[in-house]
Amino acid sequence: MRVLLAVWAAKLTGGVLRALGRQGTHVPGMIARRIHPGIIGAVQHPPRVVAVTGTNGKTTVSNLLAEALQGEGMRVASNRSGSNLAAGITAALIAAVDWRGRSRADVGVFELDERSGRLVLPGLHPDVLVCTNLTRDSIKRNAHPEYIAWILSSELAPDTTLVLNADDLIASSLGGEGNRRVHFAVDRLPSDTTSPVGAALDAMTCPDCDALLEWDHWRFNHIGRARCPSCGFSSPEPAYRARDIDADREYVVLDLDGDAREARLVNDNIVNVYNQIAVAAVLDVLGVDRDRIVRAFDTLAPPTTRFASERIGDALLVRLLTKGLVGVACSRAFEYLRSFPGRKAVVMSIDEWSERENEVENTAWIYDADYEYLADDTIEQIVVGGHRRYDQALRLAIAGVHPSRIVTLESETEPAERVDVTDADVVFNLHSVHNALTTGDRVQARLRERLGARTGERG
Amino acid sequence: MSRLTIEMLFPEVANLHGDNANITYLAQCRPDAEVVRTALNDRPAFLDRRVDLLYLGPLTERGQLKAIDRLQPYRRELEARFDSGGLTLFTHNALEVLGTRIRNPEMGYEAQGLGIFELETTLAMMGRYNGKVMGPVTELPDAQPIVGYKSQFSMVEAGSGIDGFFTATRGIGRNPSSAVEGVRRGGFIGTSLIGPLLVINPHFTRALLAKLDPDTEPVLAHEEYAVKAYVERLREFRDDRRWHDGERVQKPIVSR
Repeated sequence: MRVLLAVWAAKLTGGVLRALGRQGTHVPGMIARRIHPGIIGAVQHPPRVVAVTGTNGKTTVSNLLAEALQGEGMRVASNRSGSNLAAGITAALIAAVDWRGRSRADVGVFELDERSGRLVLPGLHPDVLVCTNLTRDSIKRNAHPEYIAWILSSELAPDTTLVLNADDLIASSLGGEGNRRVHFAVDRLPSDTTSPVGAALDAMTCPDCDALLEWDHWRFNHIGRARCPSCGFSSPEPAYRARDIDADREYVVLDLDGDAREARLVNDNIVNVYNQIAVAAVLDVLGVDRDRIVRAFDTLAPPTTRFASERIGDALLVRLLTKGLVGVACSRAFEYLRSFPGRKAVVMSIDEWSERENEVENTAWIYDADYEYLADDTIEQIVVGGHRRYDQALRLAIAGVHPSRIVTLESETEPAERVDVTDADVVFNLHSVHNALTTGDRVQARLRERLGARTGERG
Repeated sequence: MSRLTIEMLFPEVANLHGDNANITYLAQCRPDAEVVRTALNDRPAFLDRRVDLLYLGPLTERGQLKAIDRLQPYRRELEARFDSGGLTLFTHNALEVLGTRIRNPEMGYEAQGLGIFELETTLAMMGRYNGKVMGPVTELPDAQPIVGYKSQFSMVEAGSGIDGFFTATRGIGRNPSSAVEGVRRGGFIGTSLIGPLLVINPHFTRALLAKLDPDTEPVLAHEEYAVKAYVERLREFRDDRRWHDGERVQKPIVSR
């Protein structure tokens, strides 16, 4: 009866919130959990449940999976429009049952915040859990990836099948002895090296004998394929592999447990290649016909990317979400920035807004980020705006950016006026999450104007 | 000017929270410095040669246990180094390795530390503490206090008579009931603060450089930015609105 009470309360609240124009994807779950703290386990689940977690890519993978399974004609319960915390998953589970508490979905695909495993996994008890990767995230919340792996492993039931990234030595060892594990990977890429570099390097030692690992190929952070020169330990063998990536032709070969199929490449960003092979692996584990797995990628929409570019005359204006407080995310943005050909000018305002008035931002994260990518001769100027401009400038100087190329300004938007765009081939607008709609939009508009004026002058 | 040697212990596992930038920055202040990186399976260099600064940075929980295991055979040498004034800096949870015990009930272990200091550490894996700390140090005038951050699972109880790195005027020290932060003994400084300490406290870094090489005028790398960042941070650390209840030292339960 308490279960039904929780279901009814959540449904009624959700209805009221939606009538008021709100999404109603979090509060109903909170209310249901208050009425019945074990509601995630007590409410009837769809016959099959897939949980998707990891530091990066979980939203993309869960969205692609839900879309692909809908394409299979299944009724899919998911939290794609809501939160990935316990309340959001509760709300999604309740939305998928009728007023009598009976499940109306064939399968559930739930994105799970990796730190929330403790609250969600015991009740959710997924049939399949996919972990895209576990890399460093917020120092204050997530500490380090081994900690997140411990949370997840502690709460996994032994009969959950794990679909894990073989190229991530932390994520690939999730679970216990009882869990069935299948692994996915992306084969060696031309840009891979064999020598890890950077500040955020985890899993650099052999888990068996502590010797420094050697890398058959190293990609970023601890992502790549490693082996121990002392005891023979190596990264797990992937059953599912993406290879022969051709971005121009939007083409990739997906090797599904020895059965190689050509498929459309949904997106050429390496993180999204991992996401695609992870989706293929889960669909195969769920028993979807392999021809249809491959065909599903023909119609799946590319995920929303964290960058946008527009050509203005002979210049390119690139807007790049550079997630403050998360060093690893910034490193990927900086690496991507450096990969653009031509002379570059950069506007950077990536302070954490929420800590501007009532806190003093803990900037330790900027030393977990590889600003060294920005110490490049093609990056001719970096104009840093905002509260923590001197911390950012100091980090840039320590990274090797020449002081003559660094400009600091207190305002977050003034850099759009001051950056020298005269000879730049590419102008970058780097902002964080919380200031995207304020600083990010305004800087973008002003840079667009200035580059437009430059084009006009050059007639 | 004599060439400085800085030894980083186990940087392949002791590298969390950007704290190895302590040494990157120090080495940029002294471009002549040799930085020795000693891996877990290597013999520490300080045992066999002159090392001007020995450093151990933040570790995972598993990394802490490995560091204890690897340093256990050299407990006496470490203690002798501290007492003879050999400069040594342990940041974040590296200090806990030198204590008597580390308790981690949620992960299900209780480990003996090296026992150099009477420190008992308890970890709360679901109660990470985040906060700021500020306080004066003996090396600097009160107007130039240390500023730093805590982001940790652990709290440390210390035996009596263990000198702190400093006493916090704002923020908590070794635990929520103490304003005494870290440990000092001879040439040893241990602190839970991240930032990294030497990057965000340029005046302290200058003082450390002077101790490392008294015959050479210390020069700070990127001094203009380092000092401006410190001044701005200190201004904010002195702003009452930016301090929260959890950052106040609480009376111990027995005396409430």
